Amino acid sequence: MANPLADKYADRIQKHMSKYPDKRSAVMPLLYIAQEEYGWLSPDAIVQVAEICEMDPTQVKSIAGFYTMYRESPKGKYWLQVCTDLPCALKGADQFHHDLLAHLGIEEGGTTDDGMFTVEHVMCLAACDRAPMLQCNFGYVENLDMDKMKELLDKWRKEAEAYANAD
Amino acid sequence: MSDNMVKIIIDDVEYEVPAGMNVVDAAKWHASNDIPVFCYHPKMEPVGMCRMCLVEMGTLQRNPETGAVMTDEDGNPLVRWFPKLQTACTQVATDGMVFRTNTQAVVDARENVLEFLLTSHPLDCPICDKGGECPLQNLTMAHGPGESRMNFSDKMKLDKHVPLGDLIFLDEERCIQCGRCVRFQDELVGDDVLAFHERGRTLQIITNSDPGFDTYFSGNTTDICPVGALTTADFRFGARPWELTEVPSIDPHDAAGSNISLSVRLDRDFGGRAMIKRVMPRQNEYVNELWISDKARFGHHFTRSEDRLQKPVVDGKDSDWATAISTIAGLLEGADGDIAAIAGSGMSNEDLFALRSLVTANGGKRLGAWPTTHTGADLVAAVGVGVGTNLSDLGAGDAVLIVASDLEEEVPIWRLRLKGAHDRGAYVVVANARKTRMDDFASATPRYQAGKAAHWLDGIDKADPEVAKALKAAQNLVIVAGAEGLTLDGSRALMQSAANFLIDSGHYGKANNGLMSPLPGPNGMGLHYVGFTPEVTADIAQNPPKVLIVAQAEILSDDPYARAWLDKVETIISLNLFPDAVADMAAIALPIQSFAERDGTFTNGERRVQRFYTAQGPMGDALPAWQALSRISEHMGQGKAKASAAAVMVMMSNELPAFEGMRYRELSRTERQFPDISGDDMYYGGTAYQNKGGLGKVIPTTAEQGETPARADVSLPPVLEVGKGQFVVLPATRLYNLESTFRPSTLVHPRIMSPFVEVNAADAARLDINNGDVVEVKLPDVSVRVRASVNGGAPEGALVLPRHLTDDPTPMTVAVGEIAKV
Ligand code: SF4
Ligand code: FES
Ligand code: FES
Repeated sequence: MANPLADKYADRIQKHMSKYPDKRSAVMPLLYIAQEEYGWLSPDAIVQVAEICEMDPTQVKSIAGFYTMYRESPKGKYWLQVCTDLPCALKGADQFHHDLLAHLGIEEGGTTDDGMFTVEHVMCLAACDRAPMLQCNFGYVENLDMDKMKELLDKWRKEAEAYANAD
Repeated sequence: MSDNMVKIIIDDVEYEVPAGMNVVDAAKWHASNDIPVFCYHPKMEPVGMCRMCLVEMGTLQRNPETGAVMTDEDGNPLVRWFPKLQTACTQVATDGMVFRTNTQAVVDARENVLEFLLTSHPLDCPICDKGGECPLQNLTMAHGPGESRMNFSDKMKLDKHVPLGDLIFLDEERCIQCGRCVRFQDELVGDDVLAFHERGRTLQIITNSDPGFDTYFSGNTTDICPVGALTTADFRFGARPWELTEVPSIDPHDAAGSNISLSVRLDRDFGGRAMIKRVMPRQNEYVNELWISDKARFGHHFTRSEDRLQKPVVDGKDSDWATAISTIAGLLEGADGDIAAIAGSGMSNEDLFALRSLVTANGGKRLGAWPTTHTGADLVAAVGVGVGTNLSDLGAGDAVLIVASDLEEEVPIWRLRLKGAHDRGAYVVVANARKTRMDDFASATPRYQAGKAAHWLDGIDKADPEVAKALKAAQNLVIVAGAEGLTLDGSRALMQSAANFLIDSGHYGKANNGLMSPLPGPNGMGLHYVGFTPEVTADIAQNPPKVLIVAQAEILSDDPYARAWLDKVETIISLNLFPDAVADMAAIALPIQSFAERDGTFTNGERRVQRFYTAQGPMGDALPAWQALSRISEHMGQGKAKASAAAVMVMMSNELPAFEGMRYRELSRTERQFPDISGDDMYYGGTAYQNKGGLGKVIPTTAEQGETPARADVSLPPVLEVGKGQFVVLPATRLYNLESTFRPSTLVHPRIMSPFVEVNAADAARLDINNGDVVEVKLPDVSVRVRASVNGGAPEGALVLPRHLTDDPTPMTVAVGEIAKV
């Protein structure tokens, strides 16, 4: 079976593999590579990673399901995880979350039509002292309010456009 | 039991238990104290996931100088209690441990754990298959809160019919995430096709494999699931547990002789007669522990197949027993003693004995066994595994050699148990001409050339000196010798080589040492002990008799070459469950009962004689074979017909030394087995597991009876001559096939492979054959059209041709043939 991931990322895969005594140990970094390539962990991506790590696809799926930073469904380019846990909520995170959704015109967990933003609420991200906050893909954005947020959204839209045009 | 005993205190009473014993097990076994559990299972590693087994735990305070146990003023020992409750299932017994299982803290903990488990558990017990034998129901009754404080609108609504494969369904709402099913597949089977997905409240069991949950052991997960989350496609919504009567029986499909329980009820769908609703494992720690293969579980439908022969057929017309019996009597009288019989291994010991009596009383001498693939049962009788053998005892320091057998396909329970031996550290060698599933659980996998198993084993000192050395040095050694890729002579040579190896290294005549063989069917050893051998069958084929009785041997469906010699038999009398091609040729075809409809015994591959009991209502006029046969004898004035299978056993025990002194009562004896699942047990759910039908009795090897085993020279069969462009064609066994005793289980049909031949990649490339191409395999006088499979399963120069995947018989033993793309 064709395995585009194995071909395209042979070097990076090899680098991760070389750190561990057996192949299956490299499954997590490989899942990130797959996610980078496809934007999410599609069933096909899971099977490819399983094949490379010589694991059963069930086990790979299980790992992808356990950790929240793996995307098991297609999401926007910017995945905004808004913390609404207690300390953040005390600083108005619930309202912020609500306003953000309204501004983007989506429901909780939804993605904007242009495929740019997905918003989800999550539990404590350990940045309570800088609430309200959210995690955008792998980075934190803190001390937020809606004005600041709108600026950021514009900035990210532009960034994405510039990136698309650069190709 | 271990000689290293320690003292532990449970609820103020001191018990002596083996050091290192799991505390849940120790409490149950030694103190009759059922600590409730969900995730723990004595056959699997503890994980401490469900918290149901919380107990108070402490250690005795000792004087640091003297080491003496310190006491208070009243003389009670001082205990240093752990500040929090501990999970008993993750503790092992060490000296001076103290437990309390009845304090308020423990009572509260149990109640709270149950309350949490029930926060989102559906209340569909009235329609749940497990309802009535559900550990969650039982433990809730015993320890749970009377009322729920749960807000019902928060209840999770999940999928209730998720097919995990063709045979097992998951109800996501009912699952309590104990992980038993996941661990069973991973630890015991070695197929990690089940896993957890997500976490916390959204955690679910999934399979993401292709095909899904498809192993030969999948049904066992439905037994160990402590709720009704896993159900089988066969039984779901089929009956309520309390309507069922458990009838002890024996799996009629393979040499393991797995103890099963047939759950029957009087059923509308079967004309109000008792009908098998499901097949469950029955505990026999020597044979199958608590497990059965899916073939045993789902392969019972043949017993009720409408295709069963239901009336005696005389000269092609439906008839009755009186006519059939007098006609047969006439035929036998007119045969001048030129009578022979060929019996298959579906015949019980009693059937075989009645057949033997009939043939010999009328001057016949030749008793043949079917099929003629495996021989050497006499060597199993001589140097087989000793009395008291338990494959679960094999571990570090011991060795197992599996040779010429695809054990997963032939005797799946042996494969399961020997994987366990490997896990415990035994040196497991799997020697075959090709890769088999068991290779995954082997320490060494030597390969020999197709057809040369005996050559390899006979010359193992040269071919694989390391392996030979390790096997010889093992404390205990079991050899499982099959006959894949061999002729009958080849099988004889391999069995003799195996016997010689055991004799030379002294691994025989005692428990956990000796020879086993995956003889086809449930009673391969019974055939031997009653005097039926495949060599005689070969002789019958050479010199066909005037009258041939063929009993439960579907010769024409098995062997493409048999018609030629069967045609030369003047009169065939057939006894079978089905009107097969032999019955068609026969002057008289008698309908006989399946294992489910009557009493009897089978002798399994470890020579254990085991009883099965009448469970299901009879089909038509079919009779037990022993009864039909002894009525013929009676008609001919050769002794009164026996009234019961037990009475036949008495006769048999008088005439055949192997069965000397054997009585049904003795065979139905049971003993307390570990793990203890009897009594009003809370964690196994239901009563099917309990062994009330007996553990059977092992016929001792002749070595154990003091005979010096015969070490004989091996006469190696001639090496097959393979010409240019020719291949060695290896017949292979598939567990799921179209044999008459499995075909009626239609729910397994999607899992039966369509006919194929496995071709080596190099050969395929040379012949321009691709995976999936239709090819023709040409053998002398036979050719079959199948699909080619190029998946690394065949060694170069060989074709692996599975049997019984089509209606056209394919060769039973190794042959030379050609292959061409169509
Ligand atoms: S399906 Fe049954 S055995 Fe498997 S985790 Fe759920 S409750 Fe346990
Ligand atoms: S509660 Fe929001 S980061 Fe901790
Ligand atoms: S935690 Fe001990 S039985 Fe589950």
